[in-house]
Amino acid sequence: MDELLAQFLIESRELVDKAVDDLLALEKTPDDRERLEDAFRAFHTLKGGAGIVEFAAMQEALHCAEDAFAAARAESRSVSALDIGNCLSCLDQVLEWLGTIEQSGAIPPDADAGDIVALFARAGAQRKASSAPRNAGDGWLAGLLAAHASAAQPAQSALRYTPDADSFFRQQDPLARIAALPGLLAVDIGPRVPWPKLDDLDPFSCNLTITALVAMSPAGVAAALGDESRRAEIEAVSDRMRPIEAESLARKAAQILEAQLRLLEPAGEPHQQGRVASAGLVAANVLRHLGRTSESEAIATAAAVSIAEGRLEPLVEAIAAAMKGPTSAAVAGVSAARRKDVGQTMRVGAEKIDALVRLTGELIVAKNSLGHSVKVAEQRGSDLAAGLKNQHAALDRLVSELQRAVVAMRVLPLRAAFQRFPRLIREISAELDKPATLVIDGEDTEADKAIVEAIVEPLVHLLRNALDHGVEDGATRAEAGKPAVATIRLSAAREGEHVVIEVTDDGAGIDVAKIRQAAKDRNLKAAEAIAAMSDEEALDLIFLPGFSTAKTVTHLSGRGVGMDVVRTGVARLGGQVELRTAAGRGTTVRATLPFSVLVTQVMTVEAGGQVFGIPLDAVVETLRVEHDRIFPVGAAHAIVLRDRTIPLLRLANVLTGRPNDHVDESGPIVIAELDGQLGAVQVDRIGGRMDIILKPLDGLLAGVPGLAGSALLGDGGVLLVLDLAEVVQ
Amino acid sequence: MTVRVSEGGAIELSGRCGVEDAEVLQRHLLAAPGSTIEWKGCELLHAAVVQVLLVGGARVRGEPRTAFLRDHIAPIIARSMKQP
Repeated sequence: MDELLAQFLIESRELVDKAVDDLLALEKTPDDRERLEDAFRAFHTLKGGAGIVEFAAMQEALHCAEDAFAAARAESRSVSALDIGNCLSCLDQVLEWLGTIEQSGAIPPDADAGDIVALFARAGAQRKASSAPRNAGDGWLAGLLAAHASAAQPAQSALRYTPDADSFFRQQDPLARIAALPGLLAVDIGPRVPWPKLDDLDPFSCNLTITALVAMSPAGVAAALGDESRRAEIEAVSDRMRPIEAESLARKAAQILEAQLRLLEPAGEPHQQGRVASAGLVAANVLRHLGRTSESEAIATAAAVSIAEGRLEPLVEAIAAAMKGPTSAAVAGVSAARRKDVGQTMRVGAEKIDALVRLTGELIVAKNSLGHSVKVAEQRGSDLAAGLKNQHAALDRLVSELQRAVVAMRVLPLRAAFQRFPRLIREISAELDKPATLVIDGEDTEADKAIVEAIVEPLVHLLRNALDHGVEDGATRAEAGKPAVATIRLSAAREGEHVVIEVTDDGAGIDVAKIRQAAKDRNLKAAEAIAAMSDEEALDLIFLPGFSTAKTVTHLSGRGVGMDVVRTGVARLGGQVELRTAAGRGTTVRATLPFSVLVTQVMTVEAGGQVFGIPLDAVVETLRVEHDRIFPVGAAHAIVLRDRTIPLLRLANVLTGRPNDHVDESGPIVIAELDGQLGAVQVDRIGGRMDIILKPLDGLLAGVPGLAGSALLGDGGVLLVLDLAEVVQ
Repeated sequence: MTVRVSEGGAIELSGRCGVEDAEVLQRHLLAAPGSTIEWKGCELLHAAVVQVLLVGGARVRGEPRTAFLRDHIAPIIARSMKQP
C-alpha cells in the first residue's frame, strides 16, 4: 500500500472515532452548538481526506452528512435523532470501505454511496412533510412536553388516545392499556368534552382523553396498543421538540454569577476578604455544577489571588469571563492544551512497540541467564564472582526500569475499548425495545494494550446479557416502581497490579432457582450435585459452557454461548470473573485483570524429576502436612485444611498418567485456587519465585492439556508452565 | 368489597377496582360530598373509577400499591382536586 493511502487510513479511522463520539454526545445534548461544530469539522476533514486520495464515493456519502449538519445550522435547530442515526450509518459505511482498503491496498473500484445518499434524502423529505402539520396542531403535544419536561428527555413518542365512549360497556379498560405500555414515562388525563357535574355523570360512558409520553418508537407504541391504535394519535418526539432543561439551568447560573459580581462591587469596604471568599466559592460551585470544571478552577484560583493581593479585580474578571459563556476563556485554554499535546506525541506503529516488547523480553531472559552464570562463578569460588554480581545487580535494575517504561508505552486508557459501547447499547436497546442509558466510569483507567483490545469481546457479551436478561421489560419495571429507562454502568478502576472492570445493571437480578433448573435441564451437572450446591456455587453454573436460561433464541443471546466465553476470555488474559446479584436490584459482573501481560510471576516446583512453573496468581499457600491428615477418599486422596476437605493430587502421578493411588507422606503441598475452588497438589520439591516471559506453546506441544505455556530459563533450558485448572481436571 | 365506607366516614378503595365500582363510588360521593378517599390498599383502578374521582374532585389519601397509580394517577387526581 502506498504511504499516502496508509496515512489516510490511520487518520480517517481517528476521525471516524472522533465523529462517533461527537454524534453520541449530540444525541444527549442536541443543542450543544460546539459539539455540532466539532462533528461538522470531523466530517468535513474526512471528506477532505477522501478528496486527496480521490475516493469519490466516500466524498459523496460524507457530503450528504455534511449537508444535514449545514441544514441544521442554517435553520438554527438541533440535529434530529434521525440525522444522527443516518450520520452513524454513513460512518459505518466509511469504516467498511476503510477495511476493504486495508485488505486490498487500493480504493474499492465498486464503492457506491447510493444507499447513504438515499438515506439522507428520505430524512430530508420526512422533515419537510412533518414540520407543517405539527405546528398547525392544537398544541396538545407541546403542552404535554412542557408539563413533563424531565420525562420528555428520554421520550421517543407522544400519544393522544381517545377511547370510544362505550368502551366501558365493552369491558375495556383504556387506562390499563396505557399502564401496560413498555417505557411509559408520563400520563395525563382530561375530558373529551367538558366534565358534567357529578350527578349528571354517566359512569358507564367514557369521556376520557389520555395523553402519554413513552420511551419507545411510534411504531412500537402502535404495536403495543394493537387495534386501539386507530383511536390514538402517535407522534415521534424529536430532539428539537424537547424542552431544554440545560438552557434554563444556564440562565439561573448566570443570575447567580451576576449576583456575585454585585456583591463584589463596592470596593474598599471592610470585611472585603470574607466577601471575596464567599463570592469565589459560590461562583466556583455553580460552574462546577454545570460541568464547567476548568472555569470553576480558574475562579477558585482568581479568588485566592484576590485575597492574597487584597484587590478585587482578578476575581471580578474571572467571573465576568465565565459569564460570557463556556466558549471563551476555558475553551481557549483547552485548545491550547490540545495543541501542546499534539506537539509532544509521536505516532509510532503498534508493531514497532511490540518489537520493543519482544526485545525487552529477550533482555530479561539474558539477564536471568547472567544471574545463573553469577551463581556458577560463586560456587566455583572465582574471583570474578563479586564483580559479576555487582554488574548483574546493576543490569537487573536497568532492565526492570526498561520493562516498566515499555509496559507504560503499551498502556492505553480503557476509553479505547469503551468508546464503542454507548453506540452498542443504543442499538441493542432499540432492538429489544428496552430503553437504557450506559453510564461509564473510569474510562481513563489505563491497562496494557493487549488487555484493552482483548477485553472488548467479553464486555460485549456482558453488556448484551445485562440488557437482554438483566433488564426487565417495561411493564415489569413499572410494576416494580423502577424508572422506565434502565441504567447500565460500566466502570473501571486500578487496584494495585490489577485493573478491575465492572458491568452493573439495575434489572431483576438472577434467580438462583432458575439457574439450578436450567443447569439440570441441560444436564450440565448431576441433579444431586446441583441440589447440594450453595447459592453462590449455583450462581457460578452460569459460567459453564452451554448454559443459557433464555427461553427463545434471540439475535442477541440465548444460544448458550455467553458467560463461558466471558470467563474463558478473561482467564486467557490472566484474569478472573465474579458475579454478584441482588433479587430485584440488579447484577454486577466484576472482571479482575492484570495490569500488564508482559511478565508472569511463577513458582517453580519439581515433580517426577522435572521442573515446572506454576503461575503465582493461582497459588494460595504452600505447606507440609502430617501423613495422618491425608486420607483416602475412594480411589483418590484428600486433606483437611482449616475444617475444609480439599482434594489432593500428586503432580508426578498426574503428569505420568499413573493412577492417583499413592501419595508421598511428607512431600510439600501447593494449595491453589481454581475458579473459586481450592485444590491441593503434592510436588516433590518447591523451588523459588521467578519472573518469566510466558510464551504460548506452539509446534508439537500446542494443545497439550495442562500446559499454559513455556519460558526460556537462564541456563538455556525451557520451563514448562502448568495450567493448574486443567491439571486438576 | 373493593369500595366501602369506613367507620370514620372515609371511602376506602382496595384491591382491584373494576368498572362496576364506578357507580358505587359515584353514589358514595354524592351521598357525602367532599369525602376523603383512602386508597392505600388499591392495586388497580379501572378508567371508569378514575373518571368518577376526577369529576368528583375527590381528595385521596395514602399510597396505592402499584407504581402506575402512585407515579402517574395520583398527580392527576391531585391536580383535579376541587378547591374548598
